[in-house]
Amino acid sequence: MTDVRVPTTLPPRAQIHAPSHRTVLLKRLLACLAGGVVLAMMVGPQEGSQTDYGYAFRKSVLEPRIVVFLAIGVLLFLAITYWPTIVPYLTRPGFWPLVSGALAVIAAITLMHWYDPAGDGKFSSTATVVRHASNISALATAFFGWLAWAELLAIIVVGGASIILGLRRLAVVVAVAAIVAAIISYLAHQAVVNSGGHQIDHSLGYAAAILGYLVIAGAMMVSATTAAQQVESKALVGRMFAFRPGLPLVVLGAVLTLLSFLEARWFSPGDKNTTLSATHGLFAGSGLSSLEYDYLGWLGWLLFAITVVLAGAAVWIRSRPLGWVAAVVGLAATLMTLITMYGMSKLGAQRKLDAATGPWQNLGAGGWMACGGLFLLGAAGFIAATALRPSASGVSGAPGRRGRVGYTSSDVVGTSTGSQKALGYLSAPGAARTALLIAVAAALFYPPTATSFWQEVVVSQIGISMLLAVGLNVVVGWAGLLDLGFIAFYAIGSYTTAYFVGSLPIKPPHWMIVTPLLTIPLAVLVCLLAGLALGAPTLRLRGDYLAIVTLGFGEIIHLSAVNSQGITNGSEGLTNDTQRHTKSVPQPSIHIGPLHIHWGLNQLQYWYLLLVFLVVIVLAFRRLEQSRLGRAWAAVREDEVAAQATGINTTKVKLAAFAIGASTSGVAGAFFASQIGVFTPDNFVLNNSILIVAYVVFGGMGSLSGAMAGAAMLTWLPQFLKYQVPPADKLMWIGAVVMLMMIFRPAGLIPARRRAAELHGLDAPSSSETLAVPASEGL
Amino acid sequence: MTQFFDYLILGLTRGSMYALIALGYTLVYGILQLINFAHSEVFMSGAFGSYIVVHLIVGNGSGTATWEVPIVIAVGMITGAITAACIAWTLERVAYRPLRRRGAPKLAFLIGAIGASFFLSTLASKLFNSQTTNQFPIFFDHNTTLFQIDGANVKALQAVIVLSALAMMVFLDRLVNVTKLGRSIRAVSEDAPTAALMGIDIDKTISRTFIIGGLLGGAAGFLFGLNFSFAYNMGFAPGVKAFAAAVLGGIGNIRGAMLGGLLLGVVENLVLLIPGFDASWTDVVAFVVLVGVLMFRPTGILGERVGRAA
Repeated sequence: MTDVRVPTTLPPRAQIHAPSHRTVLLKRLLACLAGGVVLAMMVGPQEGSQTDYGYAFRKSVLEPRIVVFLAIGVLLFLAITYWPTIVPYLTRPGFWPLVSGALAVIAAITLMHWYDPAGDGKFSSTATVVRHASNISALATAFFGWLAWAELLAIIVVGGASIILGLRRLAVVVAVAAIVAAIISYLAHQAVVNSGGHQIDHSLGYAAAILGYLVIAGAMMVSATTAAQQVESKALVGRMFAFRPGLPLVVLGAVLTLLSFLEARWFSPGDKNTTLSATHGLFAGSGLSSLEYDYLGWLGWLLFAITVVLAGAAVWIRSRPLGWVAAVVGLAATLMTLITMYGMSKLGAQRKLDAATGPWQNLGAGGWMACGGLFLLGAAGFIAATALRPSASGVSGAPGRRGRVGYTSSDVVGTSTGSQKALGYLSAPGAARTALLIAVAAALFYPPTATSFWQEVVVSQIGISMLLAVGLNVVVGWAGLLDLGFIAFYAIGSYTTAYFVGSLPIKPPHWMIVTPLLTIPLAVLVCLLAGLALGAPTLRLRGDYLAIVTLGFGEIIHLSAVNSQGITNGSEGLTNDTQRHTKSVPQPSIHIGPLHIHWGLNQLQYWYLLLVFLVVIVLAFRRLEQSRLGRAWAAVREDEVAAQATGINTTKVKLAAFAIGASTSGVAGAFFASQIGVFTPDNFVLNNSILIVAYVVFGGMGSLSGAMAGAAMLTWLPQFLKYQVPPADKLMWIGAVVMLMMIFRPAGLIPARRRAAELHGLDAPSSSETLAVPASEGL
Repeated sequence: MTQFFDYLILGLTRGSMYALIALGYTLVYGILQLINFAHSEVFMSGAFGSYIVVHLIVGNGSGTATWEVPIVIAVGMITGAITAACIAWTLERVAYRPLRRRGAPKLAFLIGAIGASFFLSTLASKLFNSQTTNQFPIFFDHNTTLFQIDGANVKALQAVIVLSALAMMVFLDRLVNVTKLGRSIRAVSEDAPTAALMGIDIDKTISRTFIIGGLLGGAAGFLFGLNFSFAYNMGFAPGVKAFAAAVLGGIGNIRGAMLGGLLLGVVENLVLLIPGFDASWTDVVAFVVLVGVLMFRPTGILGERVGRAA
């Protein structure tokens, strides 16, 4: 008998071919150092001159500052190499909250505004103002001088040490210090505002700093408790939120409303900038209708109290009828707030306060915050009334377990993937709805409080790109057709509108000239036909051929618009030019019976119009995704041959996707044309098409909320970066963000549920190195 | 007729540069089914890389002897090619390999590539300059006429561009068809998992494919910069055209890319012969031709697949 020895463990394949450990380390070190050099270039000085190309390069790489960046590279190298040693410290309770709180404070001090009237409003400009002001307390002077950084540094260092070394007493001390720091931030900001005479101020820096410090305080308190206590409290919180969906909304709404009633400014004409109670005083005996006057006095508080109690009770005892009542009362309270704001701003306009010409002017952020808060309280009631209840077993079976207990998402939302479990609280019942309602509240009540610059950004960029992204999502995300010329339909929509309102050099017959809003159906129709015309001959092309043909189509449309002087007025675009018979597209207006609405120059009006379009389209598309057609798209996207075999007319289905996507951008185009009035073919270049694809993929292909989030993110980012980096470098940072995002989260910000199921649901991913090359499709 | 040959020569010059860039697209597409949108920036980096070295050698170009000219051109082409190859390799390592490891959807590659493209071109404008008409030092008279065809001048620079491009294409064709590396490239593009089973290191093959594409693109960048001008955003227009050329010839097909590039360059210039046609419509023509060809031959002129046709 021979003794057969079976090796107990076979070395995995990777180990057989693995290069020596030293080579790996060396490569990694070199890569990290190279990364450091690239970073040095990215934050280096601007370009050289025509005679000295190397200036920026030398300045950024060959100066002593390079040492800092190389050190960053080395740190990165050490972090990667000793990751397993570091990880236990990173998972200590309280560590990540400490980091995120510290980041919030750092962002507040470096990026955000502290006092708008001062220079560019940032911390450093505010500090300059404080230095030159005479009537500011010593505390604020110190805070803006050195205290802000010093206290932050001390808290981070001592707090980090207490977490890593497990010093509980010290942690409590740091928690107290963090709370003190939060109070100091508040007092310092208040001092600046008081000395500046309450000028209009949209700054949120102090709020972010306070929030960051409170998070740090929470982190330190957590790290000060014992492990057993942590598990218990985690379980308690988990159970509470799982058992009572809507609770976060109640808390958020109550805090927001309280802030607005106590702290925020409600009315701000000229030199006045009054809180709720001060506004009440201001309007005493001014002829404001009694109901509105009472709101400012006591009715607002009463409504708030009633809503909080109702919503809180409905959520707490999980009563459906009470939930409905709370929802209705919350909505009524929101409306009452709006009516009051209308009344007082109208009165202010009649008195010609600060050259106001009509209602809704000179309002502070307070009213809108109150609207948001009350709306959220009503929303909490709505969630309590409609949320799916976790099954009894899902709740009661859990308490003994460690970690996030109380529910598993599979009880409530069907299948759960690994990532959903990892996100814990986010997969609690009602979480998606909660997020949606918060987004709705923000969309409704945030824009009025923003500066006019951001209002314009919100309307003409974020809103429209959201609409376009939602439209392209049908083509790319659902039907899986890569369309690189989507902007062409947007152009067609815009020019159609311009034609039918008589702004182009060529005019329609006299009886066909209509108002801008009436051109929307026409624009949709024309875009639909254009989509069919492009789609019908090209849709038999496969994947990337389709991409290049659509790209070509986009270029053809753009170049035709540039070159057809007689039809589109060429590259000069639509200007008010009587010689060429062009004029700008008029602003939209509605006149139905007694209803007269005219959209003027105020961006906000357009935002709410756009919101109506967006809501209608999104609701329609949500239905569409689940419909027979939506499922057919999914089938065609996954396997066209199989789809055909099951009886789907693939050409028809794909054409439908093209046409629906195109008509959505027709709406966007019509809206754009009448909002902006004057536009040129440069609004429709190829780069914009590619950007729209980027919105969809960045946000998560095939998910409506993802497409919108991606569009919002990628249009917000350049505007935000405008004030943080040299304007010329904007695209570089965007490119880096997009690249990193794709590397670390290729499925996008909010991955589509159906796609996620397709990717991970049925079988494990195949061998890692061949994934980009499907076996069936090798060329 | 003179005009015809004039435009033909111009077209061939432009077309051979398109072909060199198109090869980069087609090689990567053949092996990864991925439109490497950042290839236009690889092309751009070749121009900048070669400029630095050429500028170092010839200064402002006034004192260059005639016998030195071919050497400078060769050095420029090589440095351009090497710079671009480095960029292409880095791109593959940083932007594409992690995505492949994660099994990302195909479009994620595309968007990553677009991000990389924005990043690289803006970084170039930050590091060097944001002028759009940088010129190479003039170290020989670009207008030297070599010979005439029916009254149309063939300039030395044009001859250099066309001939060197042709040489590189022949070289690539042999490389892919004859050598071991070429065989592994074809094998991976035919069927990657099977190729892996045959002992081919897929990652290495993909890296090398990127390097080859980068070499050709970088050389084209130098030639383009020498003939016209170079800038941080020079990659965009030729990149789009070259991509169209690759599709026109049948994407993934190497000879198709060469043919498509030359054809696109020639057609683009010859349409100017049609009376009443001004230069602003040439770009439209390029795409109309592309769409037209794809209507009738949905897989391009020579059909796809590196493995079969090349």
